[in-house]
Amino acid sequence: MFDIQEKLKEIGPYIEEADDDLLVCRCEEVTKGEIRRALHQGIFTIEEMRRYLRSGMGLCQGQTCGKLVKGIIAKELHVSPVDVYPASSRAPMRPTEMRILAEDGGVCHE
Amino acid sequence: MKIERYDMIVVGAGPAGLSAAIEAAKQGLKTIVFDENERPGGQLFKQIHKFFGSKEHKAKVRGFKIGEELLEEAHRYGVEVILNATVIGLYPQKEVTVKIGEELRHYKGDAVLVATGASENMVNFEGWTLPGVIGAGAAQTMMNLHHIKPGKKVLMLGSGNVGLVVSFQLMQAGCEVVALADAAPRVGGYGVHAAKVARCGVPFYLSHTIVKAEGTDHVTGVVIGQVGADWNIIPGTEKHFDVDTICLAVGLSPMAQLLKQAEVQMADTKGGYVPVCTKDGATSVPGIYAAGDVSGIEEASSAMIEGRMSGAAIACYLGYMSEGEKNARMKELEAQLDTLRQGMFAPKNRGKLVEKTDEGIAVSMNLLENGFVADDEIERYPGVTHQKGIHPVIECTQNIPCNPCQDACPKGCIRIGKNITSLPAVEGKKECVGCGMCVASCSGQAIFLVKEDVEPGFGEVTLPYEFLPVPEVGERGLALGRDGREVCSCEVTKVSKAPAFDYTNLLTIKVPNEMLMTARFYKKA
Repeated sequence: MFDIQEKLKEIGPYIEEADDDLLVCRCEEVTKGEIRRALHQGIFTIEEMRRYLRSGMGLCQGQTCGKLVKGIIAKELHVSPVDVYPASSRAPMRPTEMRILAEDGGVCHE
Repeated sequence: MKIERYDMIVVGAGPAGLSAAIEAAKQGLKTIVFDENERPGGQLFKQIHKFFGSKEHKAKVRGFKIGEELLEEAHRYGVEVILNATVIGLYPQKEVTVKIGEELRHYKGDAVLVATGASENMVNFEGWTLPGVIGAGAAQTMMNLHHIKPGKKVLMLGSGNVGLVVSFQLMQAGCEVVALADAAPRVGGYGVHAAKVARCGVPFYLSHTIVKAEGTDHVTGVVIGQVGADWNIIPGTEKHFDVDTICLAVGLSPMAQLLKQAEVQMADTKGGYVPVCTKDGATSVPGIYAAGDVSGIEEASSAMIEGRMSGAAIACYLGYMSEGEKNARMKELEAQLDTLRQGMFAPKNRGKLVEKTDEGIAVSMNLLENGFVADDEIERYPGVTHQKGIHPVIECTQNIPCNPCQDACPKGCIRIGKNITSLPAVEGKKECVGCGMCVASCSGQAIFLVKEDVEPGFGEVTLPYEFLPVPEVGERGLALGRDGREVCSCEVTKVSKAPAFDYTNLLTIKVPNEMLMTARFYKKA
C-alpha cells in the first residue's frame, strides 16, 4: 500500500506546456494536459486517474497508453515511474459485452 | 454452473505456453491451452527470418517453421489448444474464466501457467494518431500473416532487433524504408541485423526521434530531429521525409494483468510490471506459474526454454515427475538457457556499451552508430582473411550466441569452438570448396564467399539474397558497399538455389579484384 502522506506533498503549480493538447489515451480521448492538470487537482494514482478521466478505460484497456500515462504522472509528481502506484487488475480483463456477462453460468434470472 | 477441470491450464499459445504444455503433457498431465487469437503460435508465425542459437535452440530454422513444429508436437502429445478463447479472469484459487464465442466458460486447473507475452509500446508525438502510424508488430502481422503491404515508403523508429528485422522484412515485402531512427546513441539490436539493413541503402539516424507526423487524414510525411543531452530536439537538426507509414519499434511491455488479478506478488521494474517468480516460473501463489515475455522481455528462443522449465516444474508440483527427474531436466534446460544469455547482448549487459569482444578486439563503433562495419574496421575480425582460392569472409563482429556456420562447413573451415558466443574464425589451412552452405546457414546473413582472379583483374563475391525477383545469370547491376552506397557495376555470374539453403538464395557477382572486400550487396541497375 502506498503511504497516504505522499499524496500531500507539494508538487508545485501547473505550468502549461506546448504539447498539452496531445492525445495520450486515444480510446477515451484524454490529453496530456488533462492528465497533468488532474495531478494538480489532487489525483495521485493511476487508479484514481482512470476513474477521474477514464484514461486507459477504453477498448484497449490501457494497453497503448498505460506506460505513457504512468510516465506523465511520474514526471509531474517528481518520482520514478516504478514508484507510481499501479492500477488494480480485475475481470473482465478484455472488453466483454454485458449480455455475455449476464448470461454467465446459464440463465441468470431463473 | 459447470466447471471443467484440467491438471494444467495455459493462457497463451505462443512459444512459452506451447512449450510448457508439451513438456507437461509428455509427463501425462491433462493440459489445455487458451489463446485469444485466431491462430496459435503467438509471434512465431510472423517470424520469417532464421533464428539464432545452436542446434538445440533450432538455430537457422525460420520462426514460423519452429511454430509449426511446436504445434505438431502439441497435437502429438494430446494438448488441447483452444483458439479465439479470451481469458478474462484468473483467480488465486486457479479458476479461469474464458470467453469462447458468445459464452463464458469456467475452468479450474490444479496448476495455471500464464504465458500471455507482451504488447508493443507507443510513443507520443504530434500526429501519432494519424492512420499510417503503426507498431512494428502490426506491420509484421500485415505482411507475414495477411500478405498486405503496410505502405510504400516507411520510416522505422527503433533500432532494436524488432526494428531491424521488421525493416528488412518491409524491404522484402517491397516497401522502401527511407530511414531508421532511434533516440538512443547506438544501435540496440544485433550488428548483423543492422548490417543487412544498412547494405540495402537504409540510412541510420541514431540520437534522433520523431518530431511530428505530417498529414491531415493519413500520414504523408515525417520530421525527425536530433535529441540533445536533455532528450529535447536540438533546433535546426530537423529532417523531413516523404512517407506514408511510420513504424514504431520502441520496446515491449509484459502483459501481466492476469497475474496481478490472481494476487501474485508483482514487481515494478525498468523492464515492466512483472510477477516475482523463481527461475522455473513459480509465482508467490502456489500452482500459478509464469513463463516467457510476461515475466520479462526476452526473445522466442528463451521463451521456449522457460516454458519447458515451467512445464517440468508443474509436472513435479502435481506429482507426475519425481523431484530427482525434475532436477535432472531442469539442469539440462538451464544449461540451454544459459548459453542464450551469454555474450554482448546478455541481460546483464543491457544498456551498457561493450567496447571489446571477448577476444579483445575493438567493437566497430561505426556499426553501433551507422549500422555497418566500416571498410577499415572489417579486417580486424577473425572471420575475415585473405586467401588465394575461394574462401568465406565472415563479417560477424559481436559475441552473440550463435553457431550454425561452424556445423554448416563440411570441410571444417569455420571454427567457433565450445563457447557459442565466440567470433567465428576462418581456418586458413582447411580447403574451402565454395559450397555456400555457410552463407545460407548464417541467420545474420553475414557470410560471403570471395574468390580472386576468376579472370584477369576480376574476382567473385557470393552473397546471401532473400529478395524477389531473384536476379538472372548474366544480368548487370550495381554492387553496393556495406554502407549501401554504389561501389561499382557488376555482373551476376551464378545464382544458386537449393532446398538445403532454405530460401536464402546465393548470388554470385563479378567485380574488380579491388572491390572484393567492399562489394556486399547487389542492386538491379
